[in-house]
Amino acid sequence: MMSFSVERMVDSLFGLFEVFNPIVEPYRRFHEKLPPKIQQTITAFLFILPFGILYAIFTVLPIFQTFYISLHKWEIMGTNIRYIGLKNFERLLTRDTQFHQAFEQTILFVALTIPIIFVGLFFALMLNRPIKGIGIFRTIFYLPNIIAVTVIGLIWSRVFASSGRGLINAFLEQFNAGPIPFLDQGDLATLVVSFTTLWWTVGFSMLIFLAGLQDISQALYDAAKVDGANRWQQFRHITIPGLRRPFAFLCILQVIASFQIFGQVDVMTGGGPAGNTRTIVYNIFETSFLYFQVGYGTAMAVIMFAVLLAISLFQLALFRDQGIGS
Amino acid sequence: MTVVGADLKRKRELLERRRASLYVLAVGLFALLWMLPVVWTVVTSFRPETALQRNLASLIPYPFTTENWSFILKSSQLWKWLGNSVFVSTTHTLAQLTVCALAAYAFARLDFYFKRPLYILVLTGLMVPFEATFLPVYLLFSNLKLHNTLIALILPGIASSFAVFLLTQFFRGIPLELEEAAMMDGAGRFRIFLIIIIPLSTPVITALAIFTFLGNWNSYLWPIISATSSDVYTIVIGLRKLNQAWGDVNFYGRDMAAAIFTALPIIIFFFVFQRRIISGIAINSGIK
Repeated sequence: MMSFSVERMVDSLFGLFEVFNPIVEPYRRFHEKLPPKIQQTITAFLFILPFGILYAIFTVLPIFQTFYISLHKWEIMGTNIRYIGLKNFERLLTRDTQFHQAFEQTILFVALTIPIIFVGLFFALMLNRPIKGIGIFRTIFYLPNIIAVTVIGLIWSRVFASSGRGLINAFLEQFNAGPIPFLDQGDLATLVVSFTTLWWTVGFSMLIFLAGLQDISQALYDAAKVDGANRWQQFRHITIPGLRRPFAFLCILQVIASFQIFGQVDVMTGGGPAGNTRTIVYNIFETSFLYFQVGYGTAMAVIMFAVLLAISLFQLALFRDQGIGS
Repeated sequence: MTVVGADLKRKRELLERRRASLYVLAVGLFALLWMLPVVWTVVTSFRPETALQRNLASLIPYPFTTENWSFILKSSQLWKWLGNSVFVSTTHTLAQLTVCALAAYAFARLDFYFKRPLYILVLTGLMVPFEATFLPVYLLFSNLKLHNTLIALILPGIASSFAVFLLTQFFRGIPLELEEAAMMDGAGRFRIFLIIIIPLSTPVITALAIFTFLGNWNSYLWPIISATSSDVYTIVIGLRKLNQAWGDVNFYGRDMAAAIFTALPIIIFFFVFQRRIISGIAINSGIK
């Protein structure tokens, strides 16, 4: 039934193209005389063509351009472009304390968001029970993950706002306590942004762990029970090893994602207070679109790309060694 | 079994059921606490500004008002941005699936020159973060004077390495015999692609479509630099700009209503596709 209607639709679609037959027919006769592999090469290239064009324009060429632009003093309006060799990198690596601070801040965010994986594991263990109605909680904990960063950031910056205009401080005010300067103090702001990230994304780790838990064979637990293993021993020797794959997967993904933190910072703190939550991507954004120094911005992007590439390659090597991942 | 034994068993079952419901109750309370900011956001959107000035930290929507909501729902701007988001994400998703499925078919089924190097070139894209390419792409759109158009929001990311990879893997698993039979009937490659491969791949295509749609809908970095005029904001960017314009103090309730307005379409989308989203996560993470 299904394929029948699809076929009909395709037939009528092909019917539209019959007007081209006078051109297509002579070519088809020529095509059929070619060796099979050449025939398939032509067909394959036609199939790949739309992808290839877009991939070349939006991925392949821009990578080379990024490297090229990073060797220039290049202003966004395109009026002042000058080749300066590796000067951008020299300045970035040796003198630019703001970039160093942003880099450190990014590493700090990476470190502070790693616990998301463990909280995700905790949620997964909490919900991995055959109790009726427990499925609804999976939905609840996962739901924030699909909401846009502007909504999440707005809600949590209102919860943590430093004056009485924030939920927590308004609450404390009733007891004549506070206010706590959540977003006005560098370390606190970093924690607030990290916590928001946790709340936003923990559902993803939870679902990956839940899938992993379901892959562990029940027979292993049954056998362990027969051998008299208690719950902790079962957890330690069956559950933990069984979750190695999702764990490695989530670690890499979390590190890469946290390296690219931008939205939360832009919405919640604008990089502040005093540049304390400015991340690498935020720094690139500021340099390029506030100060219009695209050349300098791309140089930062190159460094970031190198770091992320190293992480990805490390991931590949790790997965190959341990046979985890696909 | 004796009567006493049966009685004991029933007792134990009852006890177990009671423990289970206590457990669900505990988890439920925790979930409520976890979602408290959301509850507060919803309640706040129904409270008048004067009450919010007096006390922000309340979960009781009294005095009650729909003023914030009627303001938001009457705002033509927000509806326009919502329309932009729907159009951009739908077009982007359809284009990505079409373009990537075509390429994936070639990689999965055809034997051609340069196949391996080309496939490796495509997979290399998996390791390229958006930050490594977005500045030149930004300059390209500047030169073409395409910023502040919906096209600029649709085009980047259509050629997704991940989509090609995922679809190629899936297409490879479709039995060859089906194709051979169709070929005997004189069907060409493109015809086979349309009448055999695509219909048989609906599960993976749906999963991919859902996550592409969500990803594009929620994207932030690209639209915030490309779309700087209010006509072409997506709803996600629009909310950010409203929030900046209204400031922290003046329109608290309205801001909260706007936030919910922004989140609601995606929440509805989520509940419609819930099953596929939950099961699709494993597919899309490449872990299964």
